[in-house]
Amino acid sequence: MASSSQNQGLSKYVTLVSMDGFEFVVLREAASVSKAIARMLSPTNGFKEAQDGRCVFGEINGVVLEKVAEYFYYNYKNRNREDVPDMEIPPELCLELLMAADYLDT
Amino acid sequence: MISGRGRGKIRPPRRPGVGGHDEIPEFETQWDILRSALKEIHTKNASKLSFEQIYRASYKIVLKKQGDRLYDRVREFEEQWFGTEVMPKIRQLITPNLINITLEGVAGVTANERRTTGEDFLRGLKAAWEDHILTMNMTTDVLMYMDRVYCTDNRKASIFTTSMGLFRDHILRGRLTGSELNTFNILNSVILDHISMERDGDTINRALIRSCAFMLEGMYETDEENDSDKLYLTTFEPEFLRASRAFYKAECTNLLQGSDASTWLRATQRRLAEEETRCYMTITPLTVPKIAKVVEQEMISAHLSEFLAMEGSGIKAMIENDRYEDLTILYQLVSRVDQSKESLKVALQARVVELGSDINKNIQNIDFSGAAAEPAENGEAASTGDKGKAAKQQTQSAKMTAAAIQWVDEVLGLKDKFDTMWKKCLEEDLILHTALTKSFSDFINLFPRCSEYVSLFIDDNLKRGIKGKTEAEIDEVLDKATTLLKYIQDRDMFERYYKKHLARRLLHGKSESSDVEKQMISRMKLEIGSAFTNKLEGMFKDMTMSDDLTSGYRTHISNLGDLDRKQIDLGISVLTSNFWPMESMGGDASRQEDGTQISCNWPSEINTLQESFKSFYLKERNGRKLTWLGFLGTADVRCVFPKIPGQTGNLGRERRHEISMPTFGMIVVLLFNELADDESLSFEEIQQRTNIPSRDLARTLHSIAVNPKAKVLRKEPENREVKPGDKFFFNTHFTSKNIKIKAPVMAGAVNKVEGDEERRETEVKNDEHRGYVIDTVIVRIMKARKVYSHQNLLMEVIQQLAQRFKPNVDMMKKRIESLIEREYMERVEDAPVPTYNYLA
Repeated sequence: MASSSQNQGLSKYVTLVSMDGFEFVVLREAASVSKAIARMLSPTNGFKEAQDGRCVFGEINGVVLEKVAEYFYYNYKNRNREDVPDMEIPPELCLELLMAADYLDT
Repeated sequence: MISGRGRGKIRPPRRPGVGGHDEIPEFETQWDILRSALKEIHTKNASKLSFEQIYRASYKIVLKKQGDRLYDRVREFEEQWFGTEVMPKIRQLITPNLINITLEGVAGVTANERRTTGEDFLRGLKAAWEDHILTMNMTTDVLMYMDRVYCTDNRKASIFTTSMGLFRDHILRGRLTGSELNTFNILNSVILDHISMERDGDTINRALIRSCAFMLEGMYETDEENDSDKLYLTTFEPEFLRASRAFYKAECTNLLQGSDASTWLRATQRRLAEEETRCYMTITPLTVPKIAKVVEQEMISAHLSEFLAMEGSGIKAMIENDRYEDLTILYQLVSRVDQSKESLKVALQARVVELGSDINKNIQNIDFSGAAAEPAENGEAASTGDKGKAAKQQTQSAKMTAAAIQWVDEVLGLKDKFDTMWKKCLEEDLILHTALTKSFSDFINLFPRCSEYVSLFIDDNLKRGIKGKTEAEIDEVLDKATTLLKYIQDRDMFERYYKKHLARRLLHGKSESSDVEKQMISRMKLEIGSAFTNKLEGMFKDMTMSDDLTSGYRTHISNLGDLDRKQIDLGISVLTSNFWPMESMGGDASRQEDGTQISCNWPSEINTLQESFKSFYLKERNGRKLTWLGFLGTADVRCVFPKIPGQTGNLGRERRHEISMPTFGMIVVLLFNELADDESLSFEEIQQRTNIPSRDLARTLHSIAVNPKAKVLRKEPENREVKPGDKFFFNTHFTSKNIKIKAPVMAGAVNKVEGDEERRETEVKNDEHRGYVIDTVIVRIMKARKVYSHQNLLMEVIQQLAQRFKPNVDMMKKRIESLIEREYMERVEDAPVPTYNYLA
């Protein structure tokens, strides 16, 4: 699906793949909150990820990536609002999420 | 932040590649990944690479606190890359030709060749630069984590900045083998060479140069990247400005020698526009103000005065020939370099004064030629006495009056010219307007008779000039008059003349329209103030009052009922004595030394009439004194000339004529009523009987005994001069085609230029008057200040009188002396500066 992006300019969706093989299809705009992902997909640089719209994260597992994708949408949905409550985060995932956030520069 | 208690245990984060001891090999493996990736990036093969993989490699290195090593490695990699890949290509492009151009300028190479080699070089450099930017962008992205964590933590410049510095140092500043030059020098000189080609009219690849300039703009002297440290600003721009300065200096010198001011103006304008587009299209907008300044300095400021003074095309010629376009450009250029437009101002002022003095001189020459012609003609007429002199005086004064009006017209013409110029070319610049006004006022006041001439001009226009003109045209004339008035400094002098001229206009009914007269007065009121027009308005009021009085008196008489055919119809003007300039209206002849008027002997008919009017007038206005001024009025006298026996035609019949003559004339003619036709009266007899001052009498007799049109009296001897001893007869042989005849007005009744003597008199009177005015002003000031220093006093007097005239310092000193003598004030003895004390 997203692999056809080359022909029709940028596709609206990109696929995030976790180390254990889970795939998340998310809005490109939402995912671009992460600077790392944004650059990864930047067409001017033309890396592999940019070409097939598919980012494989070798060190993030599915559970964490799911939470990351959830955050992307949470953030995207509330992007124009003020006084948005914090997102609910299960404590056991805190540290790993923190590391992922650092990695993705979110 | 983690407060959920007991809900499962917090899982420790999985440490990526926790190798413990094998840190170095770990680094090397990651670096290997990175290095090959960088290579791929530099060779534009990025599509094979996974961003995530490379990113993760750098991430891991930084996480292991090996950021510094990574940083250095990347640096080394770049340096190596420049050395082995980029520089050789650039070197190839630098042909010996290019080096020659850089070193010694143009030598034996055609422009075309220079252009091609230069363009090749620029293109190569541009390509290298663009590749570099592209790869470095990618590299930076890949190494983002390092930039973010390592560089910020250690206060290092980001890898992008560093690589820019590397490009600067290795490519641009890289020494060329065997010479002192580096790429930079060549780049600069190639661009400059291209620009100078374009200045000479060649076409060049602007976009290419623009991107090179852009490259320079993108680099900085240091890694701090201060805006003022852009390589463009530190290296290229000064070079560019220097080259341009030299170029324009040469160009301006060429223009100065080889062409005229008009070409110069256009060239400068064109160059300024060119440089601006060049900055936008070819170099960078940053330089616009700087290069404009260079052009301005070299092309405008440096030789402005020389161009202005150019014979045949300088500012003189521009003004002369109405070269509005040139002047417009000139104004624009000058206002670029100098906000106060000093040089233009001076040039314009000089021109105005010069043209104005020409006008002044011309008029004075006319005066002179008129005066010079007279003695010559007098020589011819010497044998016949000076019978023609009076007539000649008449024509000469008419000529002078015409000259006066000509002067005013010319001044107005000049003013118009400069006004159109000001509007068209000078963008209605205020500074210049003030300057122009000032120089107009200067040269007008240089002309000693300006007040008189302006007043005469107004007089002329109000008498005849406005006949048959529309309101708008009249307005225009009045506007002109007011403009001139504004320039005149000696307003009191003008007032004097204006009063005199106005008095004549009013009393002799010469004024074309009282509306226009009133408009003029109100304009003067606006322009100069009501103190000035006070008396003038009084004169008008007198005239209206007099009309009322005349008709009132008529009704009064007819109500009395004794309508009698012999009743004399009286039209009267009652003049308030201090509004009207008695002496200049001719009253000084009949004035005794104590200032009272000598009354002439009125005929009895007139006397009764006067008494009757006087009683009518004083009935409502008690306590006033009426003085009859015979020299001002006119009278319509019905004369019957008897038929002369033995004559046919007109002379054979009885002839009735109604003659309008001066009042004095009437008195004289009435004398002859009591005489037989062949009896005569001598001049002295007439004077004795009438008590008319001899000067007035001579004038009166001249108009009724000499003038052929109304020769009611016959004179013996029959010549044109009226002298004591002459005899006068009633002219029984008088004939005329007209029933109504107008005896010509006395010489004093026409407004014309004053003779030299009259003029001196006027000046003396004016000075006397000024003396009084100064006295009052000084006393007023001293009264307010009590103690005041000499200097301040003079200043204040001048300031207070500025509206009316420019007092002369000597006169003020004299007035002060006289006031001290009269004990209005005294000198303060031991004051450091001369000071006066007011004595109440």
